[in-house]
Amino acid sequence: MTLLNPSPTPQPRPAIEPWKTKNPINTRLVVAASVIPAVIAVALTAIFQLAGPIGLILVFMPLQIIAAGAAGVRIYGRKGFADAMLIIFTIFFSSLVAVLLLSVLWSVISQGFKTISPQFLFQNNKYISATTDLAYGGVGHAIIGTLLVVGLTTLVTVPLGVAIAVYLTETRDRGRNVVRTLLQALSGLPSVVAGLFVYSALIVTGITGYAGWAGSLALMPLMLPTVARVAEEALRLVPMELRTGALALGAPAYRAFFMVTLPAAKTGLVTACLLGVARVIGETAPLLLTINSRNETSIDLTSPMASLPTYVYQYISNSYDTSIQRAWGAALVILMLVAILFATARLISSGKKINLRKRK
Amino acid sequence: MRRKLMAKPFSWQDKAFFYTVRAAAGSSLVLVALIFAFLLARSLPALQQQGLGFVTGSVWDNSTTPPLFQIGSMLWGSILIAFLGIILAVPMSVAVSYFIVFLAGKRVKAIATTLIDLLAALPSIVIGLWGIAVFAPAGAEWSQLINKYLGWLPFFSSTTNNFLGTPFIAGWIVAVMIVPIISSVTREIFSQMDRELINAALALGGSKASTFLKVILPTASGGIVGGVLLGLGRALGETVAIFFVLNLSFDINWAGVLESRGGSIASMILSKFGEADPKTEIPALLAAGLVLFIVTLLVNSLAAVIVDRAQPWRKI
Repeated sequence: MTLLNPSPTPQPRPAIEPWKTKNPINTRLVVAASVIPAVIAVALTAIFQLAGPIGLILVFMPLQIIAAGAAGVRIYGRKGFADAMLIIFTIFFSSLVAVLLLSVLWSVISQGFKTISPQFLFQNNKYISATTDLAYGGVGHAIIGTLLVVGLTTLVTVPLGVAIAVYLTETRDRGRNVVRTLLQALSGLPSVVAGLFVYSALIVTGITGYAGWAGSLALMPLMLPTVARVAEEALRLVPMELRTGALALGAPAYRAFFMVTLPAAKTGLVTACLLGVARVIGETAPLLLTINSRNETSIDLTSPMASLPTYVYQYISNSYDTSIQRAWGAALVILMLVAILFATARLISSGKKINLRKRK
Repeated sequence: MRRKLMAKPFSWQDKAFFYTVRAAAGSSLVLVALIFAFLLARSLPALQQQGLGFVTGSVWDNSTTPPLFQIGSMLWGSILIAFLGIILAVPMSVAVSYFIVFLAGKRVKAIATTLIDLLAALPSIVIGLWGIAVFAPAGAEWSQLINKYLGWLPFFSSTTNNFLGTPFIAGWIVAVMIVPIISSVTREIFSQMDRELINAALALGGSKASTFLKVILPTASGGIVGGVLLGLGRALGETVAIFFVLNLSFDINWAGVLESRGGSIASMILSKFGEADPKTEIPALLAAGLVLFIVTLLVNSLAAVIVDRAQPWRKI
């Protein structure tokens, strides 16, 4: 090996980092403390035929606490006990969240795939009732309806949201704090209130009946805060030097924005748009109050329309098996749309980071 | 006087640009004002007719003359469910944030962050479907056990043997929806926290637990409270998911979380809306919406101010 090394100077020795070395006995202790209680708990639950929750709370948790506490005391002395408790509770609550989340995902995916088929994606709901066999009918009309309604919302909301973000980052107005706080507060607007607002403003007054465009309008206040906030983050990431540089070269403020800041923040703004769409694509309550529902395929935004969330709502309300299965199928379609939007947003923003790193 | 190194926009294009942007910002104010104005204008008849009893009483009867519409029990039900949700969600969100920021390795951290963000993006109708089909039966089984062994506590007692449609189950559903909101604020506060502070505590001989309890938590408490308020606002306004898992009842339920009856303003609006009488009942429902709007706007504005204070690094 040394002969192959062309360098005459000795290689630097690998640094010794005593604080990183691990005592193998301690590692074994930790593994034992995490495995033994689980084994005992499963065994006891199986032998005495205990109910799952009792086995978990009354057998597993105390055993786990004792085992982890003992291991902590053995390794770190008396203060190790509190450390062990901290780790145990952190992992317990974190896995609770993970279990709930994975349960949601798993049930939607497993049940949804039982329903979904090409015909379910393309056919509409005409002549279909809650007990019709799953071989007929589908959500084609609802997909078209959702895309149209949400598309119209996007057309209105994205320019407005981006303009608000520009106001928050590019101007030095005093009103910025008020607007920012108001947007943050608006992001918690109950969706049913947005629906009631459009209902009382347009439908009670007789300006329109139940209509697709009223639904788009009802989704707007829900989408606006998300778009504005993410767009603000994106614009803020553009270095100040770029702006001041453009201004120093003599560009007027609007050209500096459109030719320097906007292109630099482009991907971030696309992300803002995608996350905004993901936010409203599954909103149900505003659409129930404004677009009602429809069984045929329709692209007429001035009449009642179908949408995926209202389709799910319509079919959960019946308790027949086929009806619930249809709801699962449509829920899976919503979930896939959200996942696609999310993945695209991730891809775009991660690609951006890699480019920046390369340039450095 | 401090001089400002700033030029006023002078060309008309610049002026147009800034006026457009300002108008857009103004439109968000106008939007809130419009929502308030329309709901108030349409619900005024109902509010005048019902008086203060609208928010304190608990009768909803269309057949009497004049009809009685009161949402006291619904208002209390919303608060009860939101509090249950917060109690369940706070330990989970703080634990998840601590896990992501301080315990997890790089790859686990990325996966966990993505999962929590995905949880935030799950539409409430999907959670509602999961709640009624998957969670409610399991939750009822747990409730039965709690009632069997802890039923002597007043809030765990149950007069019927039906454990579906309880505020307890609705509280869990709400918790699932607000964990990502609280944990995203908490996570940001934890990760932006001064590392010197934590290292100093450890160097002085503090254990992980004492550092967490005496340094990390007190420093982050402002942000956590803000996050909790944001979650509270969301929980109060949750509509569709609660609609499916809660047994709505105008008979007020003070604290019996395992009783199969409860209230929620948002869900009540949805359930009554379909067959409401446009002359009398619709204004009352709009008034309920107005109450909900005012309550959530107050809670959320307070939350926004607190979160803003707790994150000074977000100011330019």
